[in-house]
Amino acid sequence: MTTFEQTFEETPLAQVHELAASRLADGWRYVQILAVNTENGIDLVYSYMKDGLLANFNVAGVQKGDTVPSITDLYLEAFVCENEIHDLFDVDISNIAIDFGGMFYQLAEKAPMTVVSPEQLAAREKAKKIAAAKAAKEAAAKAEAAPALATGPTEEEIQAKIAGLDPEKAAKVRAAMEAKAKKAAAATPAAPAEPAKTGLTEEEIQAKVACLDPEKAAKVRAALEAKAKKAAEGKGE
Amino acid sequence: MSKATIIPFGPQHPVLPEPLHLDLVVQDETVVDCIPQIGFVHRGLEKLVETRDYNQFIYIAERICGICAMGHSLGYAETVESLMGVEVPKRAEYLRVIWHELSRVHSHLLWLGLAADAFGFESMFMHCWRLRERVLDLFEKTTGGRVILSVVKVGGVVRDIDATQMAEIVSVLDGLKDEYTQIMNTLLTDTSVKNRTVGVGYLSAEDATALSMVGPFARASNLAYDVRSFGRGAYGDLSEFAPITDTAGDCFARVKVRCLEVLQSIEIIKELAAKMPAGDIAVDVKGAPADGAQASNVLEQPRGECYYYARGNGSKNLERMRMRTPTSQNLAGMTVALKGCDLADVNMIILTIDPCISCTER
Repeated sequence: MTTFEQTFEETPLAQVHELAASRLADGWRYVQILAVNTENGIDLVYSYMKDGLLANFNVAGVQKGDTVPSITDLYLEAFVCENEIHDLFDVDISNIAIDFGGMFYQLAEKAPMTVVSPEQLAAREKAKKIAAAKAAKEAAAKAEAAPALATGPTEEEIQAKIAGLDPEKAAKVRAAMEAKAKKAAAATPAAPAEPAKTGLTEEEIQAKVACLDPEKAAKVRAALEAKAKKAAEGKGE
Repeated sequence: MSKATIIPFGPQHPVLPEPLHLDLVVQDETVVDCIPQIGFVHRGLEKLVETRDYNQFIYIAERICGICAMGHSLGYAETVESLMGVEVPKRAEYLRVIWHELSRVHSHLLWLGLAADAFGFESMFMHCWRLRERVLDLFEKTTGGRVILSVVKVGGVVRDIDATQMAEIVSVLDGLKDEYTQIMNTLLTDTSVKNRTVGVGYLSAEDATALSMVGPFARASNLAYDVRSFGRGAYGDLSEFAPITDTAGDCFARVKVRCLEVLQSIEIIKELAAKMPAGDIAVDVKGAPADGAQASNVLEQPRGECYYYARGNGSKNLERMRMRTPTSQNLAGMTVALKGCDLADVNMIILTIDPCISCTER
């Protein structure tokens, strides 16, 4: 019995046609072409299959103005996917054997799959934040593990260095250092005597919750109770 | 030979339940070329994956098509499970295949009824759809739905089939098999059916291979490709499985292959019902697919191989979900099969190809 396997590989745009030709010569079936709208352009995924192996080739970041060669001279059946990608993603594909010239789908909006929805944008931002937090965590762990080698020059060392400069340059450096120190002081928030945000009163919160739909209100109440419980536990400790 | 004329066929046509348009280039009464066009009912369902999380999208996936609903929910779930490295319990795999094969039986019976109606064989149409009702009744008893079943979820299935229901499924299928065999034999030996289908819409094995064709359309041209033969899930536990093929490559061969596949599906269901393992029907799936993770999958739908692709972005919403349906793959083959046929045979050829435009447009 033939077993099923899948692989993903990167391939450059310039080799798309060559890849199709070599696959055809080796007796691979054409399976499909798909497009993914990413921040770095349109990714195209070409899939071929032979003996249960589904090989997917990713062409990353096709830009506006790039021309993708059609593979319909080798695999005629690809005309459906190529016309679809042209209409839905506005990717320029040259020499499609059956080319509908942008009329394959009757669309209300041009290239609808390239419109980034608010949900997708939020997901991307979240992914970026998670990646940044992960990187920061890793960097902090690395810094902690490493001995304090790069502590930087002391105040005395800096002053000694400045004293060695010509007077005009030394004055400029001192002025820049003072401005930097002033800016840093302004950026550091003063510890508030009281919480900056006093928040809503219990009555105001209940009134707001009452205006929500019952399902959401129940969720908000549960969250508030959990928060209160956590705060009480914190105090107890 | 006279001057070539273009005759538009569809998107509204008595033999087409769905909107497919063909520009038929005709000389005298012979079709010399054909250009297919779809795009009348594109719904943009794949885009909805951005606003629904991966659990919610399964309900959209199964609404892609009323006939292949079970297959789409299964194909989608398998792809997300592959993306997230989820292993489904054995019992859930069996249950999924049983419902999926029942779907194949109902799809092929529906198609057979429509084809018989196009032959002018209206009593056959009624018998086929009467039998199909029994399968829909089984769906209703086991899932609560007749068309949209909503039983598959990422990680397994949401309902079990108990021993009593399983015995009922087997009993109904035994009864159905007897009646269906009589109908099938009538159809396959009928002179008027043979007159309309034998030697019509020929597609060679070489063309089927070169055009990467899938499903019964390809198997009728002796291309023995069936995703079920990879033996994934419960298919791997079958004592034997061989794709049903025919060498003739004409409309009659396509009718025959589909007719025999109904019997094959019934046998698969009965074997799996007898071997049904005990255990859980689902596992809990938590978390979200990793940013940039990708997975692809193929599934044998009633019309052939369907390709699924998913890419994660670190959130519960997928970055991309894609389905390439069997009809989309077979459109090129359809143009080849239509070349050289009589204009009067076009409807028969298209019916025996059984295009599903609803799936193709998504």
